[in-house]
Amino acid sequence: MTEKKEHFDEDLDLRISPKLSEDLNTLFKPQFSVPPELDRAIMDRANRRLVQRHWRHRVFRHISLWRVAAAAAVIIFAFSLNLTQKPWPSTSRTVLVEAQAVDIDRNGRVDILDAFKLARHVESADRSKTNLSPVSGTVQALRKQEWDINGDGLVNRNDVDLVASAAVRLPAPVLPAQKTQVQLDKGVL
Amino acid sequence: MKKIMAVIVTSISLIVPVLARQSEQDMTAQPKVRFAPLHIFLDSGNQPLAAFQFELKAAAGKPAPAKAGVKIVGVEGGEHKAFKEAPYYDPAALANDRIIIAAFNTGRELPKGRTRIATVHLQIIGDAEPDYELKLTVAADADAKEIPAKITFETRLGEGLRRSGKGEQK
Repeated sequence: MTEKKEHFDEDLDLRISPKLSEDLNTLFKPQFSVPPELDRAIMDRANRRLVQRHWRHRVFRHISLWRVAAAAAVIIFAFSLNLTQKPWPSTSRTVLVEAQAVDIDRNGRVDILDAFKLARHVESADRSKTNLSPVSGTVQALRKQEWDINGDGLVNRNDVDLVASAAVRLPAPVLPAQKTQVQLDKGVL
Repeated sequence: MKKIMAVIVTSISLIVPVLARQSEQDMTAQPKVRFAPLHIFLDSGNQPLAAFQFELKAAAGKPAPAKAGVKIVGVEGGEHKAFKEAPYYDPAALANDRIIIAAFNTGRELPKGRTRIATVHLQIIGDAEPDYELKLTVAADADAKEIPAKITFETRLGEGLRRSGKGEQK
């Protein structure tokens, strides 16, 4: 027998002799007897615990499978939606200044004629002002403060633009005649 | 583990056809997009035209596919120097199918007869020719007095073909 075989003897006899077995039983035999009912109760409880664990494990696995399936369904649904199509961006209305639309001619409707009439008035007043004082290009002397739409103390082209913008605003504004506070001097216009 | 693998394989086998169909739809369902100018004319007869206002509505022509539509993308002035500058309009009307356009001129050189007062640039989605609805709100002479006028439009259809139509006065 080689040295190797001495350390790892595969043919070693693992059986124990009846004498040794008897001696071990005598030595480690419990000093009291366990009633069979208690034995059964312990076994039953152990069995129940094991069964519960087994079911918990199965339920957990079941739920995991459902989670995976639900995630797959959500992915499919997301792809089936046409998410690439985005709505058109809404155009900002920053260009249009929020100003009170004025029905200059008091016909109950704000249209381009209101702006046109105001523009003619501004130009005629501007011309007369220019004749008096060539330095001023604006119409500060205008007494029609109601036409100062933007409230800057002047009635000029800016106010005309505001009225024109109000005329073309969507949806088309229609002001009731009683709401207008403009006293129109038709002789001037 | 085998079940998880089965679920993953099933999911993949479901997702792949859906994705393939999606990309196919994207490739084929894109409608044709083109841009066209719509010229607006106003005939004031022998009266000088000093101011005008009209409303334009453009709708997809029939038969209109689901994605068909018309969008206003720009507005240009007219041919006469009195209305050469871009008219008044609501910028919110851009990317929309309805617009109100207006202009005036306080000068003395004003157009008479039939003149192009504006050009509206449209983005047309789909093959069908859109339907246009023109309403003349007001036309006025140099004294700001309302005058009768006839509003019409003209648009180019492909090579040299033209289509025209009439509007109505409110």
